[in-house]
Amino acid sequence: MSQDIVAATGPQAQAGRGKARTLLRKYGWGLAFLLPAAAIFILFLWLPIIKGFFYSFYHIDFVNGDEFVGLDNYRTVFSDPDVWTAVKNTLYYMALCLVMGFWVPIVFAIGISEIKRLQGVFRVAAYLPNVIPVVVLYGLWRWMYDPVGPINAGITSLFGGEGVSFLTDTKWSMISLVFMETWQQFGSAMLLYLAAVLSIPRDWYEAAEIDGAGIWQRIWHITLPSLRSLILLMLVLQIIGTSQAYQSQLAILDGGPVKATLTYALLIVKYATTRLDMGVASAMGVLMFIVLGALAIVQYRLDRKGDR
Amino acid sequence: MSSMDRGILSEFDLKRKGTRAGYIIMLVVIFLMAASMVYPVLTTAFNGLKDNAEVNSFPPHFLPQTWEWGNFDEAWNYIALPTFLRNTLLIFGGNMIVSVLVLGTASFSLSRLHVPKRRSIEMFFMITLFIPPTTYLIPNFLNLKDLGLLDSFFAFWLPAGANAFFLLLLKNFFDGISMEIFEAARIDGASELSCFIRIAVPLSLPIFATLAIFVFSTAWNDWFWPSLIMHKDSHYPLSTAIYKYVIQAKMLNLNIKFAILTLVMLPPIAVFLVFQRFIIRGLHLGGVKG
Repeated sequence: MSQDIVAATGPQAQAGRGKARTLLRKYGWGLAFLLPAAAIFILFLWLPIIKGFFYSFYHIDFVNGDEFVGLDNYRTVFSDPDVWTAVKNTLYYMALCLVMGFWVPIVFAIGISEIKRLQGVFRVAAYLPNVIPVVVLYGLWRWMYDPVGPINAGITSLFGGEGVSFLTDTKWSMISLVFMETWQQFGSAMLLYLAAVLSIPRDWYEAAEIDGAGIWQRIWHITLPSLRSLILLMLVLQIIGTSQAYQSQLAILDGGPVKATLTYALLIVKYATTRLDMGVASAMGVLMFIVLGALAIVQYRLDRKGDR
Repeated sequence: MSSMDRGILSEFDLKRKGTRAGYIIMLVVIFLMAASMVYPVLTTAFNGLKDNAEVNSFPPHFLPQTWEWGNFDEAWNYIALPTFLRNTLLIFGGNMIVSVLVLGTASFSLSRLHVPKRRSIEMFFMITLFIPPTTYLIPNFLNLKDLGLLDSFFAFWLPAGANAFFLLLLKNFFDGISMEIFEAARIDGASELSCFIRIAVPLSLPIFATLAIFVFSTAWNDWFWPSLIMHKDSHYPLSTAIYKYVIQAKMLNLNIKFAILTLVMLPPIAVFLVFQRFIIRGLHLGGVKG
């Protein structure tokens, strides 16, 4: 890097333009330090983002070369019934994640904040599944959900009956995935909420209690309002995150049974890997970009607010 | 109990019978939650120690009836774990070096040096945080192919420097170092480069440690992306290899499968338990923005 600078300083100094020299002296190091990052960001982030738009108008062929096909890829997307199934599944998955998962870390954060001893143990325990490699979890949970696995053993010994086909029943498959992911991921959100709950001044509760506020009133009027901006931010992040989900759907069920867990992002992956049509996959990415772009603007606004 | 010691509940609340009962129920629920977090981990390890007939028996036992330590021998030799482990560590090491070099200098520059049009340059980096990665997943793959990087470790190493989140993390850290140190060094005649190498880098070892944990967990976890860009078996990182040859395996005995999963699970758990403090702090630094 220092060589860049020497090379750039040499000719400039000889040119003898005073202004350029002062600018260079002022900004030279700053720009030189930014140069490698700028190159890498352009090459590996901005270039693919921009290329995506171009690829979406091409038929990608590794052997015969790419061919411009106009809007054909987009026509394929809109006429493929699987796309609509995938959109519906993705919305269903996002809704399930909100209903089954979003409140869990908030409730446990408030609960654990009230524990006086061994709080650290519960924190570590809740975060533990986050550090297990996801491929291990895929193997583990396939067995957990097995018709002869431990969950079904529990159900049949408690209630009798047949047990539940968690993964092969189209009614249950998506719910099972969401349950697994909630179990795996709620710990990290919980720790963030917990820090926020613990930072609420204790004397607010004291004052509220003296004024006769009950426990639920204290939670409703003090704890939750204090968490509001964090809850909002987590909500937006979760919506953005869940709208792009495909890995567990792919790894555990490959989109099945009967396309019940085929999400939009998984269909992108399938178009690229098994249907070998990367142009259509790129077009689906562009469409997703347009929809999520609106959400990203919301996230950006919230982020700015949080910084202030 | 002073008013600072209380939480939502006061000591007075806990003396009332109804509240007390509710508090105990809450403790039980939290305890069950913790148990349900630990149970699958232990179950994986214990299943790896059972003989194959016992793993497949219904209803499943928690503890093995006979302890088959030999399973782990067989698990170790089932696939070339050392090769895949080496690949994972290669990816981790290279990613870490590139992140520190590229993002360390860039964040130092944005935080401490004179840069023209600073706002626009920051936008150039930070806007990428708000573009969902799945939308350019396939173009990203095609781009790496166009650059001729497929099946090469450079396909991991070089893009590792294109991470706006880490850049933000480092920049915020450098913003927090007091300006006087650098001014003093400059008066003593230090150049910008030696300010960076001799002051900024040593001071930022804790933030690099946090970064290392993020980079490690990505390298250890990621299975899908490597399976797209690496084509030779001998180039797969551990997670991808486990997915392809263990999770998807049809003929593999269940107890051996669990023994392999245990072997893969233990190192990150050990790292977590040792560096707990760093990890949880890193989570607070990064969680909301990530």
